[in-house]
Amino acid sequence: MEKRPIYDEDGDLYCREASRLLSLARERKLTAVESKDLERHLDICFMCRNFDSQLKFLRAATERFRTSDT
Amino acid sequence: MTDPRFAQIESHRPYLVRYALSQLRDAQLAEEAVQEALLSALESLSGFEGKSSLRTWLTSILRFKVIDLQRRAVSDRTHLEPTDFAAEAGDDAWLDDLFDETGHWRVAPQAWSNPESAFEQRRFWETFESCLDKLPAAGGRVFFKREIAGEETETICKEEGISASNCWVILHRARLSLRACLEMNWFGKEADIR
Repeated sequence: MEKRPIYDEDGDLYCREASRLLSLARERKLTAVESKDLERHLDICFMCRNFDSQLKFLRAATERFRTSDT
Repeated sequence: MTDPRFAQIESHRPYLVRYALSQLRDAQLAEEAVQEALLSALESLSGFEGKSSLRTWLTSILRFKVIDLQRRAVSDRTHLEPTDFAAEAGDDAWLDDLFDETGHWRVAPQAWSNPESAFEQRRFWETFESCLDKLPAAGGRVFFKREIAGEETETICKEEGISASNCWVILHRARLSLRACLEMNWFGKEADIR
């Protein structure tokens, strides 16, 4: 299988990789490089910032779903 | 007089079936576990003091039934649904539906305004559950174990017999599907009305 590049020509992460890291951060601690790349990407990308907020929302929703009384 | 909590208990059945299914991977066993758990719950309803939510209390009863059934079923695992992880995690071609060839979102995730207010709406939870149902079987199970039952990734990998990186891919995929489903069926619609 062909591996896709994770950086563009400016050395910025692609959204495809940034979103993977956002999800991964919920499973394990990101490496220093991963965190730095991700932070840099989030600074310039509102779409991935939205995705990040949505992941936080999902966490809150599953939490609520577990204890719901309605 | 009938305790009104009988009906309340029954209303948690779909959640409990989902829980049992994530643990037992067998619809019949899951139904059995839930049935037994609900019966026990009815018998010991007076012991429920409301310190936790009813759902949490019911889940704790169900957990014991599940462990019990797992023990009994361990000698006969041949009927287990085969895990379709290869199809779900084997390669990342599925990401091509979401990201274009340059690695950008095909459809930009939107900003959901004040999303947590949705928690108070019954219809939101119906949408949420139907989105959970749309996940592929193994993906839904792993997601449920991780995010709803709150199991550690390591435990899930062991139970499912998959590598940690497979597990991460499956979880990532489930999260992407869920957010897209909620955006399409809840937050997007809501935005239209405004």
